[in-house]
Amino acid sequence: MTFNSDEIFQIAKTIWETTLGRPIEAETSGILANRPRSMAACIQIAGAWNGAILLDCPIEVARLAASAMFSTDTDKLTVPDLQDAIAELVNMLGGNIKALLPGGCFLSLPAVVEGGDYSARVPGSRLINRIAFVCAGSVVSLTILEKIQEQSAAA
Amino acid sequence: MTQTQAPPQSDTVKLIAPFMNAVRDVLQTMAHVQTRVDKPFLKTDASTSYQVCGIIGFSGQLTGSVMVSFSDAAAEKLVEAFAGAKLARNDPDFADAIGELTNMIAGSAKQHLGGLASISIPTVVIGNGYVVANMHTIPCLVIPCNTTFGSFAVEVCVMRNPGN
Repeated sequence: MTFNSDEIFQIAKTIWETTLGRPIEAETSGILANRPRSMAACIQIAGAWNGAILLDCPIEVARLAASAMFSTDTDKLTVPDLQDAIAELVNMLGGNIKALLPGGCFLSLPAVVEGGDYSARVPGSRLINRIAFVCAGSVVSLTILEKIQEQSAAA
Repeated sequence: MTQTQAPPQSDTVKLIAPFMNAVRDVLQTMAHVQTRVDKPFLKTDASTSYQVCGIIGFSGQLTGSVMVSFSDAAAEKLVEAFAGAKLARNDPDFADAIGELTNMIAGSAKQHLGGLASISIPTVVIGNGYVVANMHTIPCLVIPCNTTFGSFAVEVCVMRNPGN
């Protein structure tokens, strides 16, 4: 299964513009800025296609997203608000990406990781696509991973 | 981590018992270690039990996720027993082993839960001072576990899909 980077970017752009009212631009430098604190959200797809979608964004973007989604000032947001906002964003991204897949695929519920010192890895998967974009001056990355099919014992 | 007594709901017990059995069976078979499972409790905040976590999603007739969260000591010794070699925490094979243990526990529990559910590929998070938040709409039950290798916890955040 392959995903077109432009198509994935368009999905993200539509979600950011319609849900958050924020434009995004493609990040082409390939440099992810140092992030003292970031949030990562992961949602998995199982069924006819198996894989995972990882959204990694700085805390500032999570704050902007939560503020827009919950119509709340950024200084009044709680950590669960930010977690819910990022979870909802990856859920929307996952739903749109699932629409590109064959039928019989199910989305899991999102999990959100928040902190300053962690690494997230999806063992048994391979990188299919990764795009990065800039929102309000911060770089957000979106990664699509596909489960590596197990080889049969006879192979 | 804030905790309260798990509600005495028969469905909750039905959902959690397979995980308690699965964790005992998988660790006995794969790491040759006995696991003492303590009384489950309801998780009421987003804090993470320990700092090496394997997370796996359920979809289909069961929705939610399961997180197996290991202390550093337990993770290192369990991985050594499972993989047959001592692996550093930053070795990709270390995360693979944690993911595989998580996959086996979830897969074993799924077999006994009945119904048609799919489990996703695992995500492994390793670090310090981070939290993993699940959907707030599904209650999360924590099963504290102890072995001679150290402590870990299985956090079950799964519900039956309405209409299935």
